[in-house]
Formats: sequence, structure tokens, C-alpha cells
Amino acid sequence: MHTTSTTHDTHDAHDHIHPPPEGFVRKYVFSLDHKVIGFQYFFTGLLIMFIAGSFAELVRLQLTDPNGAIMSHTAYNEMFSMHGTAMVWLVLIPLVTGALGNFVMPLQIGARDVAFPWLNMASFWILPVAALILFSSMLFGGPHAGWTEYPPISLADGTANALWALAIFTIGISSTMTGLNFMVTIMKMRAPGMTWTRMPLFIWATFATALMNMVATVALSVAVGALFLEQVFNVPFFDPSRGGAVVLYQHMFWFYSHPAVYIFIIPAFGVVSEVLPTFARKPIFGYKMIAFSSMAISILAFTVWMHHMFPSGIAPWLQLPFMILTYAIGIPTGIKIFSWMATIWGGRIHFTSAMLYALGFLITFTFGGLTGVFLASVPVDLHMHGTTFVVGHFHYVVAGGAVMGFLAAVPYWYPKATGRMLNEGLAQLGFWLFFLGLNGTFLPMHWLGLEGMPRRTATYAGFAKAFPDAVFWNQFETAFSFLMVAAIGLLAFNVIWSLRHGKLAGINPWGARTLEWTISSPPPYYNYKKIPQVYGRPYDFDQPLPYRNTDNELDEFPEFGRVLMPTPQPVGA
Amino acid sequence: MDAAFIERGIALVGAIAVGVTATVQLKNDWTARGLDADLTKVLLGLMALGCVIALLAAVNLLGVRS
Amino acid sequence: MAAAAARHLSGTEAVAARYRDVDPVYGETRDIRLLGFVFFLLSDCILFSSFIFAYVYLRISAPAWPPFLNGHQLPWFDTSFAAMNSIVLFGSGVTMHFALENWKHLNKAKFNGWLIATILLGIGFLGGQAHEWSVVGISWTATTMGAAFFTLTGMHGFHVFVGVCYLTVLGLQANGGTYTGSKYFGLTAGTLYWHFVDVIWVFLFFLFYIW
Repeated sequence: MHTTSTTHDTHDAHDHIHPPPEGFVRKYVFSLDHKVIGFQYFFTGLLIMFIAGSFAELVRLQLTDPNGAIMSHTAYNEMFSMHGTAMVWLVLIPLVTGALGNFVMPLQIGARDVAFPWLNMASFWILPVAALILFSSMLFGGPHAGWTEYPPISLADGTANALWALAIFTIGISSTMTGLNFMVTIMKMRAPGMTWTRMPLFIWATFATALMNMVATVALSVAVGALFLEQVFNVPFFDPSRGGAVVLYQHMFWFYSHPAVYIFIIPAFGVVSEVLPTFARKPIFGYKMIAFSSMAISILAFTVWMHHMFPSGIAPWLQLPFMILTYAIGIPTGIKIFSWMATIWGGRIHFTSAMLYALGFLITFTFGGLTGVFLASVPVDLHMHGTTFVVGHFHYVVAGGAVMGFLAAVPYWYPKATGRMLNEGLAQLGFWLFFLGLNGTFLPMHWLGLEGMPRRTATYAGFAKAFPDAVFWNQFETAFSFLMVAAIGLLAFNVIWSLRHGKLAGINPWGARTLEWTISSPPPYYNYKKIPQVYGRPYDFDQPLPYRNTDNELDEFPEFGRVLMPTPQPVGA
Repeated sequence: MDAAFIERGIALVGAIAVGVTATVQLKNDWTARGLDADLTKVLLGLMALGCVIALLAAVNLLGVRS
Repeated sequence: MAAAAARHLSGTEAVAARYRDVDPVYGETRDIRLLGFVFFLLSDCILFSSFIFAYVYLRISAPAWPPFLNGHQLPWFDTSFAAMNSIVLFGSGVTMHFALENWKHLNKAKFNGWLIATILLGIGFLGGQAHEWSVVGISWTATTMGAAFFTLTGMHGFHVFVGVCYLTVLGLQANGGTYTGSKYFGLTAGTLYWHFVDVIWVFLFFLFYIW
């Protein structure tokens, strides 16, 4: 807890306002400003999302014909491998941690920037480099063994495998540094009076995510580093003929990659925890439970990795404890879902596009979480592993959870970032397209998987002979997948169009109560001229705003929909 | 008096010298406060432990290969 | 009112001012960069832990250790030489501790002396490792024993090399006036890094030469 004196003349991390950056390069290219870096992550992530999404569309087009519609087995393998790899490391993590975390977190804690701005900038610029390395692997044939690239089969990819591993290693450095940066920022740079239990839930989420990012990513770097050494220098980590073990790679890979999925989803949990109270005009239900469950998930995430390996030949006695731990990790998540439902229960709901995405999240993420609980059971998993049931499960939690949460954050914080509102009509249309597209694409995968349709296979003629409706459902899925493409395209258009033509937003268009809604939209480069003091939680909608010494004079009870313009500030630092 | 014996001898003498010094420094710094001081104490302690291991290896109590 | 642009600070003072904060637990001025550096060491710890996990897994699941190659069992590593080399490295940790202590007591000459001793001992350790690599008689690629040994000691040796360079730069900076009696974060960081590298070796020495 910081002392609350504001009339000290000692300099500390809170007081420093550096002079403004000058020149196009310093302002927009090599910027140290977390807000600009957030934008950079956003646009880069969105661009790569289009590329990785096109690979997915090619996969879907291929599956419209059980004998394979458009490409060879090799090309198909490359498509789904690149889709998964790019989406996981170059889209999802950059968007939820790099874009969202960077932009919102310092603003929400009342800080002027992150703890290490130069490190932040370096973390961003690693992303385009890693992307170039990954996409260059396609010149050498590309990865073929999925986003997981298990040896020994991945070793057949040769140079492409080496480049794949190098790309993952590179982006891993970025994630680790960002995690470290965010942890130190949240621990040391919160506004005076903002104790841990007065932090917005998005900050708890960012903290839990940063912890996992910082600790788990290095394990991934070692896994792909070992793969790289084996590929390039023939070092026998995974080669059984020289004493290596194939399953060792799986252990090392999944020790990171399971926490990775929580890295995707916990920021989305944080967004939902912010959006639901604001648009239900009700305090969040179970603040402490939600906060602590985020921390519990971030710790438990490291204890469940073998549930990805049930059929891999691990010792049978290991299956039961990991099954139990996997069930256990569903509990904190379930607590959150119930808390969110209790939050909106009896509230006065405003169906803005952000709220629609958050409500849609509650439906699709819960569904995905439930299928995850089915898969946690070893007997079920032994049958479902390698089928499209698993594909349906993880797309529901990733696209229906992480992406949905991210899509809720965009219309919510866009007004703060740009000073303009997104076009609400287009945003709502985008929601319905995405929601329908998501369900149409991934729901049939569940029953097809139960019937035994394998994943990662370019043709399914044998399966289609036994289950003729598989062809219809695959074509159905492909058709609906284009709705998702349209939705993201619409979002991209909306984001760019509204920069010029969106309605002016003012300080607090949503009547929200966290600190970032007390400064102008967009904020000045230094965020807060005066570091505010916090003396309460932001979610109590019937209480006055719990801040003192804010930059603008504020309404005690901010109302939804009223445009507040900033108080004129005297010119000069 | 082969190479291994000399190496062991140096290791033995050095382990005692370095280990004792590390322990003495640890004792002196025991009440220092702060994250860096705490971390230094832990690491110095582990270094002293390393000296103990090296000492035991030098007198053939540890690390003896059949 | 924020006293933001009031006083102009120079060089390290400005950097230190930007990073200083009041630690709620210890109640004294703490450097944010210290926490960042400790987290960096933590992530480096995970790096070594992951490779150590791989080595332990491979060793435990091997039918024999040392493993057989072409019908012959590989020899164990030479514990006596490694024990001597380890003392060289542990000694450098103690000398670095003395160097920092002397800096804190504003004794620059002794600081320089102990720092040079540390760097020389570090180089000595690297020399010992180079010798060990040349006489160990196994290859990186033939067995998992070589794979684990060269990868782990190689990574550690790289860290020691970086440490030697880092300490040299710190020595030049300290003598060039970058640090003062009260603001010397770079020296603290360098000492912690050196101790860290030292302690990693404790584990590697045990895992390859004792176990």
C-alpha cells in the first residue's frame, strides 16, 4: 500500500512525465508509449489473423469433398499446421496480451506507462521478425505435423521444421519479456491507494496471465530449442535409437502449451468481468472469488499438461491424477461463470455490441468448457483424441472464448483509444455473423467426432461411406465459416472507418467506473497529469466514484450514454 | 601423486577456504533487508552447499564411480 | 500536484529516479529494475530447469547409465577435475561479493581488485570447461549422455561468458563514473547474475559428476 501524500517532492516512478516524442519514427514506429505499442500489436495481429484465417478457409474448402476438393495431403497438412501455429503464437497471444494488456493495463492502474517501456517496444518488434521466420518456412515446404510438430515425424520437414522452431523460440522471447514487464508494472506502479483488492478484475487477469507468460514460455523455448538442435545438429533428445524419447518432447511442449491456453482465455475473462457490470449497471458479483480464481487457474495450469497425452503411452498410473487435476481446474472457471451470471441477474442491461459479445462469450465459452470436462475423462479422451470432437472443443473455447472476449474489448475500449465510437450497427451485425458462423462451423464437429471423424486428415472417404451425412455437415461447416470471415472483415472495416467517421466519444461514453474513464479520449501521451488516488473498488454502481485528485472533474454517478467532455486543462507541463 | 590426486587436493583446500568464507559472509549479512539482500543470502548459501559437495567429492565420499 | 518537470536530474540519477519506489514490505527505497531483474533470473532458472528435466528424464528411462555405444559402455565423467574447476567458480562468487561490499563502503581500489579477481577466476573456469570438453571423449550427437552434457554445460558456459563480458563492462562503467556510492544498480544486478550462474553450476556439477 502506498502512502497517500501527494505533496512530496521526491521523484518516484509515478511522478515522471518525460518530454513528448518527436518525429514520425519516434511517435509511431519505434514508440515507447504503451498505447502506440498496443495499436501496433493490434494491427499486426489482425493482419496475421487474416492470413492464418485464409489457411483455415483452404482447409474447410478441402473438406467439402470427402476425396479432397482442392489440394494434396501434403498441402493440406501444411495448411492446418500453419493455421494453428500462426493463430496461437502470432495472433492470439499478441492480441490478448500485447494489444489489450498493453493498451488497457497501465491506464487502469493509474500509471503513465509500463515499468520497462523500451523492453515493451522490443517485445513488439520481435513479432514481425518471428512472423517473417515462420512464413519463410513455407518456402521450404512448411511444417506438416500440426501446430504441435511432434518428432519424429516433424523431423522429416527438414529446414521448414528448423525455421518453425526458430520462429516459436523468437516469439517466446517476446512473450516472456512482456510477462515480466506486466508483472513488475502491476506490482510496483499502481496508483496510491489501489490495493490488490481494489484493482479492476482486468488487472487481476492481466497479472495471472503475465505470471504464466513469464514462467511457462521459457519451457516452450526449451522444447522447440531441443527440436531445433535435433533437426539441425542431430542431437539425440527424441531419437529412440540413440537413447532419446519421443514422449519427452510432448512433456516439454505441453508443459507450456497447457498454460498457453489459459494465457489466451484469462484476459478474455478479465474483459468480461469489466463489460458485464458496466452494461448491467450492477456491481460484479464475487469480486474476490473471481480475482482469486484467476490466480488459482494460473497456478493449476501448470499441473494438468498430461491430459493432452493420455493415449501417448505414458505410464497408466499417471492418467488418474491428471484426470482429477483437470477436473479440478474446471472449478475456478465454473465459479467465474456463476459469478458473471449473478452479476447480470436483475441488472438493467444495455445491449451494446460489447455486451452482446460478452453475453455470447458466456454461452459459447461455457459450452466449450463443458466439452473440455468430457475430454478430461480418460476413457472418453482415449476415444475422442484425434477426432474432430477435440477440434470443436478447443475452437469453442478459443474462438468462442478468447476471440469473443477480445471482440468484446474492441468496441468497449475503442472509444477510449481513439476518441470515437465504433459504428454500432456494423458492430452488432458483426457480432451476429460471428456468433452464427462460430456455432455453425464448430458445433457439427462434435457429433462427427463422436462418430469417429479424424482430424488432421485431408480426405475422409472411408468415414463418409460409413456415415454419409458427414459430407453434408462438412459442407455446412464450410459455409458457416465464411460468416466468421465476414465478421472479422467487418470489424476491420469498422475500426478503420470509425477513425474518421465515428461519433465523438467523450471521456466516458459507457458510464464505466474504472480509472481509464476519468481521462480524455484518446488519453494524452502521459496518460495522467495528476496520479489519482484510489480509495475503493470500481464496481459499486450506487457509490460515488472512489477517486481523488483526478485530471477531470467527474460525475459522482456516471450515467450510461451521456457524453462527458474533458475539463479544459491549463497549457504547459 | 597423479593429476587426479592434485586436482582433488586443490579442490579440498579450495572448498574449505571458499566454503568457510561464504558461510562467514552469509552470517555477517544475515540481518540485511531488501530483495537483493535476501536473494544474495539464498545464493551464497547455495554456493556454500556447492563447496560442501565439492569437498565431499574431493575426499571420495561422493561421486565415487564403480 | 505532480512535481513532474520541476527538478532536472542527470544521467544515472534521472534513471534511478524514474525507477525508484517505496517498497511496502521493507519500507525503504527499492529499485523497480531490481524486481524486473529478479524475474529475469527466474525465467533463466526455468530455462535450465527445463533442460535439466529432459536430462533427468532421459537418464532415468535409459536401460543403462552411462549408456552403451557400439557395444561399449561410455565412461563416467572426471569428478576430480570438475571439483577443482567448481571451486574456481565458487571462489569467483565470493570475490564478487567482496567487490560489491567494497563498492558499498566506497573503497574503489579494493572494488577493482576483487572485480578483476572475479573476472580472472571466471575466465579460468571457462578455460577449465574448454579442457573438459576436449578430453571428455564423447560426442554431442552419439548418445543422450553427450546430448545432455554438451547442451547443458554449453548453455551454462555461454552464461558464464556473457557474465564475464558483463562484469568487464561494469568495471569500465564503474571506473568511468557511471555509478555513485548510493546509485549502483548495475553492480547489484551484475553480482546477482554472477551468483545465479554460480548456483546453476552447483546443480549441474551434482547432476553430471556426482549423481
